[in-house]
Amino acid sequence: MSIAATPSAVAGVRLRAARPLLVACGLGLLVAGLSVSHLGFGARAIPASTVVRALVAFDADSFDHNVIVELRLLRLLAALAVGAGLGLTGALIQSVTRNPLGEPHVLGLNAGAALAVVSTLTLSPLLGGGLPASALAAIRPLVAGLGATLLCALVLAAASLGRTGLTPLKVTLCGVAFSAFAAALTSAQLLLDDQTLATVRLWLAGDLSGLSYGGLWAALPPAAVGLGLALVLARRLDALAMGDQVAAGLGIDVARTRLAALVSAGLLCGAAVSLAGPIGFVGLVVPHAVKALGVRDMRLVLPLSALAGAALLVAADLAARSLFAPRELATGIVTALVGVPVFIALASRRRP
Amino acid sequence: MSALARAAGYRQVRVGPLSLRVRPRAAAAAMVVLILIAGGAAFALATGSLPIPLDRVLAAILARDVPPDVAHVVTGVRLPRVVLALLAGAMLGLSGAALQALTRNGLADPGLVGIKEGASLAVLALILAAPALGPGWRLPAGMAGGLAVALVVVLVARDLSGVRFVLVGIGVSWLLASALLVFITTADINDVETALVWLAGSLHAAEWTLIPALALWGVLGAVLLFATARAADAMLLGDAAAKGLGVRLRLAGALGLAAPVLMTAAAVSCVGSLGFVGLIAPHMARLVIGGGQAAVLAASGLIGAALVLLADTAGRLAFAPLQIPAGIVMTLAGVPLFLFLLWRRRDQI
Repeated sequence: MSIAATPSAVAGVRLRAARPLLVACGLGLLVAGLSVSHLGFGARAIPASTVVRALVAFDADSFDHNVIVELRLLRLLAALAVGAGLGLTGALIQSVTRNPLGEPHVLGLNAGAALAVVSTLTLSPLLGGGLPASALAAIRPLVAGLGATLLCALVLAAASLGRTGLTPLKVTLCGVAFSAFAAALTSAQLLLDDQTLATVRLWLAGDLSGLSYGGLWAALPPAAVGLGLALVLARRLDALAMGDQVAAGLGIDVARTRLAALVSAGLLCGAAVSLAGPIGFVGLVVPHAVKALGVRDMRLVLPLSALAGAALLVAADLAARSLFAPRELATGIVTALVGVPVFIALASRRRP
Repeated sequence: MSALARAAGYRQVRVGPLSLRVRPRAAAAAMVVLILIAGGAAFALATGSLPIPLDRVLAAILARDVPPDVAHVVTGVRLPRVVLALLAGAMLGLSGAALQALTRNGLADPGLVGIKEGASLAVLALILAAPALGPGWRLPAGMAGGLAVALVVVLVARDLSGVRFVLVGIGVSWLLASALLVFITTADINDVETALVWLAGSLHAAEWTLIPALALWGVLGAVLLFATARAADAMLLGDAAAKGLGVRLRLAGALGLAAPVLMTAAAVSCVGSLGFVGLIAPHMARLVIGGGQAAVLAASGLIGAALVLLADTAGRLAFAPLQIPAGIVMTLAGVPLFLFLLWRRRDQI
């Protein structure tokens, strides 16, 4: 029997296959447009045509070109990288925990990363004279990633105790508790050590100012490893979404997949936190937005979450710089003001 | 007196026409907590950068002849701090016990559901927008802020005794925490420093002027809660059973929510954010003393007072001369206990 397909069904299949492509194109255009506005906006507004010319045909004699490439491009690249990393982390964690409220901030990754970074700063003088600042900056992404992974593993382990498993309430409460503990340890160290407080005060609020190209390069290798691991895991995560038993039946080592996804999330989150400090709620909003656009396959959800995260963070950074201009807000505040209402909406939609 | 009550450990005490049922075990436990508080207060008054022997502490309090500097350290610096710690701790403990009974949720904490941040935000707005108004206005401002946030949480969650109440409360407190950060990162640095000291949950700014107003609200709240304790007991049986026993549900619910919210907000306006007291004190109270809501309330108040006094003294002495705010000590001690409570209820939530 031949398979007869009506024209409209063919069109439907094509449309469904084309949808991720459309979403990707739309997000790509959004990121490009936001990036150009991000580069053009500032104490001195620079028209888009000049921005594009500075990027494609750099003129070392032009003041505007130098401002764009030396100062604003760094901040833009960091915003893109941090947004992409956090969007990916959120998608990974929501898929591994099958929990719509899963998010780096909720699960303690941010607090763990902040605690690890602050601890290395305050404890390094005790370890024989202290490490030079450049070495501390270079290992910061790895330290942050390690702290994030460890605290998140603790939260998940504590939340998965009991017969009911990882319920959203247990995950959130454990996340709140462990984050509060880590934050208290962080503040205690900062109160005892003025010098570290001065170094990390702005970074702790989740801010993109005060970056260096060195910090950006140091963050890229762990982020690249995390990204690669996430993409390799995508098919297994799809299987895991159908339940542990189904996944095991498909021949997938559930525990090892979870652990690998957690390590990947920790590396990505650590790289992001080392650049911009603990920025919350990008990872909560982005995967929901991507799924609302009709993308389900993890192999597409992951890269699209990275794109959407980048778009969201660039937009948040633009808002942080322009809402109270000439004063700047920390970028993390804007993402929280956008993200928490989404959390409340998701939480209150659940049946009690 | 019924044999049933006797079997449950109650004994009757008669003083003339009055009679009272007491449980010797609970009374003994309460005495132990009281002795702990007295010992802790004496220790807190005697130790610090200037050690003062206890007999001179007592002499200073009784205004006998002691050098003026010693008298100032005891009655002007350490005594108000101890009194404030006990008062705020008792109020937070009482609030926690009332809120946990009302929501029938052992994980409900006034700090977890946004009241703390609401009060903080209102007080911070007052400090920054109208610095001329003075500390006397902080209390009403904080109470208004806390009440407003509690109303928002109740309206969004719609149901007090569900998972949603706690989750919405956590979300709202995050939202307000980031609104607090807006203030902290954009305001003038001097104002921010004033505000930060208070925000960290520190008692080092304790003054006698704070205490009368706080005590007034504490007593008012406590009277309300003890008056509705029997209704709260009945409500634990479920709304229908309570209604059958003659409890006016709406009134009891409104009072049971308003009293802890106002008391928490008042305490936070004076000592900043001190988390986990309202969560832990009621559990320790049920563990050590147990009994009906009135007994749990009384014990939670006592234990809350002891906890805050302990946390403040530990934070003051651990890294002297540097001080760790009581809020941080309380969090470090409170989180493991919170996790233990979570673990005990691991199959139910």
